[in-house]
Amino acid sequence: MTDILTLVFRTLSSQTGQNKDPSAGPPSPAPRSSTLLVGEHRLSRSVLLLAAVTAASELGVRVAFFAQTQIQSLPECLQRCSRITFSYPRTLEELLQQVAGLHESPCPPSLIIIDRLDGFLRGAVAGSHVGFHSGDESRAAHLAALLCDTAAFLTEVLEKRGSSSAPCRAIASFLSDADSGQESRDASATDPVLAVLDRYFQARCTLDQDRSYEAAAAAAQEAWHVYLSGTKIPDDCEDGPALAQEWKLFIFPEGLMEFKLV
Amino acid sequence: MKSGSARSKKLCGKMRTFLPAVAEQLFGDIQKNYEETTQIPDDLLIALKFVFGTCALQALDLVDQRSVTCLSSPSGRKAFQVTGGSGRLYTCFLSCHYCPCPAFTYTVLRRNQGLLCKHILAVYLCQAMAVTQQESVSDQQMSAVLSGTEGP
Repeated sequence: MTDILTLVFRTLSSQTGQNKDPSAGPPSPAPRSSTLLVGEHRLSRSVLLLAAVTAASELGVRVAFFAQTQIQSLPECLQRCSRITFSYPRTLEELLQQVAGLHESPCPPSLIIIDRLDGFLRGAVAGSHVGFHSGDESRAAHLAALLCDTAAFLTEVLEKRGSSSAPCRAIASFLSDADSGQESRDASATDPVLAVLDRYFQARCTLDQDRSYEAAAAAAQEAWHVYLSGTKIPDDCEDGPALAQEWKLFIFPEGLMEFKLV
Repeated sequence: MKSGSARSKKLCGKMRTFLPAVAEQLFGDIQKNYEETTQIPDDLLIALKFVFGTCALQALDLVDQRSVTCLSSPSGRKAFQVTGGSGRLYTCFLSCHYCPCPAFTYTVLRRNQGLLCKHILAVYLCQAMAVTQQESVSDQQMSAVLSGTEGP
C-alpha cells in the first residue's frame, strides 16, 4: 500500500519543484500490504479518496472502499467509477461481515480501504458511545487481522490468475483518542487500541499539522507533515533501512493540495 | 540460529513472519523430528516450554486431543479453528496472529508478555506434526466464521 500512497504524493507533488516527473524522487518503497493512516478525519478521508482514485485510474485496479457514513461531497465521476465500490456498513459487525465476504467476490479488489476504523470500534459496545472500553483491543485486533489476512488471501488469488493487479493492499484511517484533542502527541504510547493496530499494519502514515509560519509563508491555508514509516519486511533488501519518508502537504484556499518531499 | 529454510517456510505460510527466529527454528526442528520418528524428543519439549512457558503444555494437550481443524471453502480461503477445553471454538487466521481468547487479549495484546496463546501454539504444533484435521465449508460459512458471527 505504501507504493500507492507514494504514487499519490508524487503525482500531486509540486510542479515548480524538481519532481515534475511522478517517477522521479526517492526510490519506491517495497510495497507493504497494509498501511494505517493516522490523523485528522477530514484530511485522512481526502488522502484515502486520492488513494482510491489513483489506484483505479493510474494502476487500473479494483478498489473496495468502506465507510460508516455516506460521503456527502463525492464527485459524480467517482460515484460512477466502476472500479471503485463504496460500501457503508453501519456497525463493526457489518464491516467484519463485508470484509470477510470479499473472498466470495468473482472480481476481488486490489485495494481495500476502511475510512475511520475508530468510528467502527468506538460504536461497538452497546449503550456506550464515547471512548474505548475493555475488549476493544480484541475487537481492534480481530478487524485488523481479518483485513490483513483477507489482503494476503486476495494477493494469492490475483497472483494465481497471473493478474497484474496483484498484490492486494489495505489501508485504513484511524484517529486516536489522544489525538482527538488539539495537541498531537505520540498516540501509540497512550492509546492501547492504536498500539494493537500497529501490530498488524506493516506501515504507518502519520498526518501532523504544522502550525508554524511555514503555511503562511507558502500562501497556503494549512500545512501538514506526512510521515511514512514502516518496519522492515522480508521483501526489503536485507541490509536496507526500514521505510522512512517525509512529505509536506500544503492545502491552498481553493482546496488545492500539493505534496512536497522533505 | 538461522531462520527461513524453504522447508520451514512452507509450514504456516506467512504467519511465520510474525515469529522470532528461535521459535521458527524450533517448529522446523519439531517438524523434522516428528517426520522421522513420530515423536518430539525431550530436548525439544524442554525448549518449547522454555520459549512459550506454561502455554506449551496446554497446547500439547490440545494437539493430543486433535483440537485443531483447518477449514477450507471452495474459494480457496482457509482458516484454523481450535476447540478449547470448554468446547468453545476459536478461529485463528492463516497469515497473522489473532485469537479471540481472553489470554491472547491480556497476555499478548495488552501486556505484551507472550508471543501467542495456547490455541495459536497448538495450530503451529499440529501443522508441524501434520495432525491438523481438515474440514470443508461453503464460502458463506467461511465468511461467517472469519467475521465471528457464527460457527460452521
